[in-house]
Amino acid sequence: MKLGLDEHAHLDSPLHHWETRYKLVGLMVLIFAFSFVQDLRLLPAMLVVTFALYSVSRLPLSYLLTRLRAPGFFLLIVAVLLPFLSGSTVILRIGSLALRQEGCLDLLLIVTKFVSILTTGLVLFGTAPFLAIIKAMRALGLPPVLADMTLLSYRYLYEIGDDLETMETAMGLRGFRARRSGRGGHKAMPLLGVLASLAGTILVRSYEQSERVYKAMVLRGYGHSPRPRDEFQACPRDVVGLGGVLVLAAGFVAAEIFFRRFGG
Amino acid sequence: MVSGLSFSYPDKPGVLRDASLEVLPGERVGLIGPNGAGKTSFFLVICGVLKPDGGEILLFGEPMAHGDFRPEIGMVFQNPDDQLFCPSVRDDVAFGPQNLGLLKEEVEARVTEALSLAGMLELAGRPPHHLSGGEKRMVSIAGVLAMHPRLLIYDEPNANLDIRSRRRLIRFLQASKETVLIASHDLELILEVCDRVLLMDEGCIVADGNPRGLMGDVELMEAHGLERPHSLVPHAEPHHEWETRRQGDKKTRRQGDKKTRRQGDKETRSNRKTQP
Amino acid sequence: MHIPDGILPAAVSVAGYATTGAATWYSLRRINRKENPQESIPRASLLTAAFFVASWIHIPIPPTSVHLVLNGLLGAVLGYYAFPAILIGLFFQAVMFQHGGLTTLGVNATVMGVPALLAYHVFRLRNVVVRRGDPGDRPHQVWTGVFGFLAGSGGLGISALMALILLITTVPAHLDVEVERASVYALAVAHIPLMVLEGIFTALVVLFLQRVRPELLED
Repeated sequence: MKLGLDEHAHLDSPLHHWETRYKLVGLMVLIFAFSFVQDLRLLPAMLVVTFALYSVSRLPLSYLLTRLRAPGFFLLIVAVLLPFLSGSTVILRIGSLALRQEGCLDLLLIVTKFVSILTTGLVLFGTAPFLAIIKAMRALGLPPVLADMTLLSYRYLYEIGDDLETMETAMGLRGFRARRSGRGGHKAMPLLGVLASLAGTILVRSYEQSERVYKAMVLRGYGHSPRPRDEFQACPRDVVGLGGVLVLAAGFVAAEIFFRRFGG
Repeated sequence: MVSGLSFSYPDKPGVLRDASLEVLPGERVGLIGPNGAGKTSFFLVICGVLKPDGGEILLFGEPMAHGDFRPEIGMVFQNPDDQLFCPSVRDDVAFGPQNLGLLKEEVEARVTEALSLAGMLELAGRPPHHLSGGEKRMVSIAGVLAMHPRLLIYDEPNANLDIRSRRRLIRFLQASKETVLIASHDLELILEVCDRVLLMDEGCIVADGNPRGLMGDVELMEAHGLERPHSLVPHAEPHHEWETRRQGDKKTRRQGDKKTRRQGDKETRSNRKTQP
Repeated sequence: MHIPDGILPAAVSVAGYATTGAATWYSLRRINRKENPQESIPRASLLTAAFFVASWIHIPIPPTSVHLVLNGLLGAVLGYYAFPAILIGLFFQAVMFQHGGLTTLGVNATVMGVPALLAYHVFRLRNVVVRRGDPGDRPHQVWTGVFGFLAGSGGLGISALMALILLITTVPAHLDVEVERASVYALAVAHIPLMVLEGIFTALVVLFLQRVRPELLED
């Protein structure tokens, strides 16, 4: 079962080689800096930085485009509604609909921020194996309970997903199609009942497996001594990279505050 | 050195009833029996994971209580997915040594050693869901080996293995230096690997003896939901090793086992000598 | 309920992380008070993964199909582990599918997780109403179903409400009052059938679990 992780995690680029902890901190700060921006004059700079990052990362463009598709649906709704509903300055009339300036500008702001943040997020999470990212978070202070839960959930996600597919196939072979809408004469309640049993079965099987996993963990000493933190080695380049990105983020924040304070 | 596992206990509605066993170091013991006989529960009690209602366990001379962590005993589970719970092979094999409180370099050394023994070193960086059934099996064994156990328990080790993986497993088991206790439905595997066999049914150990003798006893096997393994069935054309050897051999190799008796059998040939 | 990046002001996102941090801290404290927290970690983790997978089950509602949120069910089954489970689930969704934002991870976790904890307490009320007797008898089943329904629909309802209030109060849009009011009503009304659906589904799953593995529903 494909979860679309780690597809491009092993390419060769400065961003791939940037030590994961520093990358995590640096890019998350940058992402928050982007989200702080409200002034339209900063948008071009945001886009430039974002796409510079993306091209340095050597991630393929197709990757970005496919990832934009799913959330893009939501954006489409916003894109359709906002320009016509928000604001009072009308710039264009199309029949009975009025295109409003504030709405268009709001839309521009939202879309640009969204794309920038998503792209930077892709750079952050797409240039290192998922496992390395979780370990980096643990090294940065994620509580052990959360770290263990994340690792275990991640580990068994694929299997459980495969189980679901197998069960759905088996159901389908016995004539039940869960994804057809309306056809086949399925009445609402029995349909829900079957799907509820499907969900329930997945839960029960996972529960039973978790008991066996727990026994296996105990047998190899789980809980016997504290788990060691992974050691990450940082070199000067990593620190420089972090410094650079933090400066960039600070720049955006400062510019934003400046524009808010002194208008324009 | 006596590594005595001697105990007797009853468990939840008779899952294990007064089961007793003693294993000497270096022995390779097979455990056979129908499903539901209690083999897995038996193992889990020995390992201290399940708490018995009665009886006692002595592991290498030291009593074993519920909840003890004794790295000298290691268990390989029936389903390797239950045991490979870390997101990468290397992390999983390192899990045991880390819990032993070893230093990082020592942990690394043990991981490399265990993976090489299991022949899985190239797969160290992979996530478990990218492995095949046979690979998962060997990695789960490596994970247990990394703790340097002296007694290894295998619960149905060859379930879902293809022929090649099964052969690799058999060779691996034959080469192992530890004391080994294997539960399996694969009677031929037990024949190839073990020098002693126990038959378990309904929570009791019903028979204990030489693999060839015990498993060759048709009446006994069938009384407990099993069959005599193919290679022990005498053939018109003798092609199993023991048959060709028997042709020149006057003695049978049954030792001190009162329960197995050879039945009158239509296929016996005149030049085989039997002993009651 | 998966609020994407780019809409909320940064201050709100940061506040969201703060509330999620607090809720996580609180949940972990309650978890550690149990006698053997380590034992329940594998169970909670695998169930987190299971819920994640279960939320992929489509319920076909012509002309389209719906994914359920299931935070009420999560609360009923996982108890205090529901909050970390939701946090982890949202993290996976944000990173794997870009569903839900990175800046808004905190906000989304609070909006979905806190109602899950409330749903847990609602579901526990069934122990007040019916004594823990034979799980097969009718009153026990009926009450389990009822409280399952309440937990499921409540979980979704409160989440939706919180998300809506948040969006209305913090999104800087220049909507005129009438449009805003109309859209709020429309969204609120649209969620009612969804609440009913979640409630029914949760009740059905809870009854299934009660029959097959009642320990999953015990504390």
